[in-house]
Amino acid sequence: MLTLLRDLRRLRRDIALERPARGRSLAIRHVDAGSCNGCEHELTLVSSPYYDLQRFGLGVVASPRHADVLLVTGPVTTRMHAALLVAYNAMPEPRRVAALGDCALGCNVLGTAESVVGSVEAVLPVDVRIPGCPPTPDAIAQALLELIDSR
Amino acid sequence: MSAYRETVAAALDEGWRFAGLHASADGSCVRTLLARDGSVRLETVDVSEGSVPSLVDLAPAAGWDEREAHDLHGVGFAGHEPLRPLVDHDLDLAHWTVPVRGDDPYQVAVGPIHAGVIESGHFRFHVVGERILHVDARLFYKHRGLERAAEGATLEDGVAFASRACAACAVTNAVAYAHACEDALGLIPDPELARARTILLELERLWSHLNDIAAACAGVGLAAGNNGFAALTERGRRLNAALTGHRFLFGSVRVGGSALTLDEPAIRRARVEIDAIRVDSQRAWRELLFNASFQDRLPEIGIVTAADVERLGAVGPAARAAGVEEDVRAVSSRLAYDGFQPVVPRRAAGDVQARLEQRALELLQTYALLDDLLSRPVGPAAAEAGGAERPIGVGRVESPRGETSCIVERRGERVERLRLRTGSYANWPAVAYAAADNLLPDFPLINKSFELCYACVDR
Repeated sequence: MLTLLRDLRRLRRDIALERPARGRSLAIRHVDAGSCNGCEHELTLVSSPYYDLQRFGLGVVASPRHADVLLVTGPVTTRMHAALLVAYNAMPEPRRVAALGDCALGCNVLGTAESVVGSVEAVLPVDVRIPGCPPTPDAIAQALLELIDSR
Repeated sequence: MSAYRETVAAALDEGWRFAGLHASADGSCVRTLLARDGSVRLETVDVSEGSVPSLVDLAPAAGWDEREAHDLHGVGFAGHEPLRPLVDHDLDLAHWTVPVRGDDPYQVAVGPIHAGVIESGHFRFHVVGERILHVDARLFYKHRGLERAAEGATLEDGVAFASRACAACAVTNAVAYAHACEDALGLIPDPELARARTILLELERLWSHLNDIAAACAGVGLAAGNNGFAALTERGRRLNAALTGHRFLFGSVRVGGSALTLDEPAIRRARVEIDAIRVDSQRAWRELLFNASFQDRLPEIGIVTAADVERLGAVGPAARAAGVEEDVRAVSSRLAYDGFQPVVPRRAAGDVQARLEQRALELLQTYALLDDLLSRPVGPAAAEAGGAERPIGVGRVESPRGETSCIVERRGERVERLRLRTGSYANWPAVAYAAADNLLPDFPLINKSFELCYACVDR
């Protein structure tokens, strides 16, 4: 365990991430509305030592009740449509919606009209668009930091 | 007993294994895929008066396939009672859950939206106190109709639908699709194409298995282990990007040829990095072995025995962790796995501990395979004429989660029907089975010890 922690400390030193200048935070609730799991896998690594977005006050929270931003991946499927709206409606104001990845933006291999409602924009007002298939952790981090600055 | 059931029953007696079932695009017939070692066969039965005989009593692994064929193609299965909805979400709770009766049982509903960064899916736990009596998993929230959308596409373009079904299995699904198309077109990959695809498959397994160990650490709240293996996962993805320009290797598989070339400096750098990842991951794994509070959580929960594997049709690390030495890599004549031997853990208990150890063992195989496969540059390659042309082709590939099969029915050069049955699809019933009798707080860990995708199940 101690070796593991020492290795992590060394890794963090080697990566030499810049220290945050900001003193604010943004709580994010992620909703997978029908993705291929690529955006989820990259979003997970945004919290890993190579990016460590928590140092900027960016964290994924367990409930939309605690969230400032709804981060939505995938095209919105017919089966996730209702759940996505429930999550959005549970958020306190002010709230922002970020569409993560090309599918969420409506420009990828999506599926059939009877199974997919469409892009996130077709269902919710979108404030931030993060293109990519999937967007790299760097691109996700960049977009979220711009959002925190714009608040 | 119908001729179809008799044929399938006889085949199962002869050592053939159920490997998938699907309805044709127009719902006029049902095809059952059977596999034995490296061979496959399809048994077809016409739909008569809206239904075909069910196979669930002969092969319980057919349960989900039959429910899916009913929901998506309207085929009834005589003898499959009750035929619960799988993809169809319109029916109420009583239709898709198993009734649980008694003095104290109550239900805990989780999802489709989960608390972390997790794919969407719903679990309905029937519990007494903290003890799980039964779990009903309701997936297909992410059903995008990708198989249907692929119909009519050229065989070449169809690969996009197979690979976009799931980022974590993108290479596996694309190679299984390419194999199916080439099987139908009477093509056989030349040795260079076989090697290129094998490299891609093992690169996918490398990051995926590292990610699975990170996920298990997250499942018990061991942040140091999670961070350590997440960092290694990141290095695996960066390696992918360095070799193919994409962190998930998208676009690196195509039908009939190779989309991968690697020159001498590229393979040299890759081998150095793979060796460094090997050293660091073995070191981090050793640390996990000596972490008593972590190890205490792992044994004797979420058990799937070898008999369960056979009955439920579980595949991949989940099957091997129970001592079942099945691995499609050992019988993949279209890939460069010559002499490959499946591994099983010494303590093949089929529990969370064994499944986690299985990943560590398979990583060692992957490092060695990649080191060997990358010992010389990868040049242009193609599939060559070598077999008979057929209207239906089958491809089977071992994904990080187990056997994935792809069936392509073609009309000329176009896809008439695409069926993708992934390792995750085969294993989900085992997850639900493994959870019963365990404590509810152990479910996240049991679930993560399988670490299945939802995306390539839902399609």
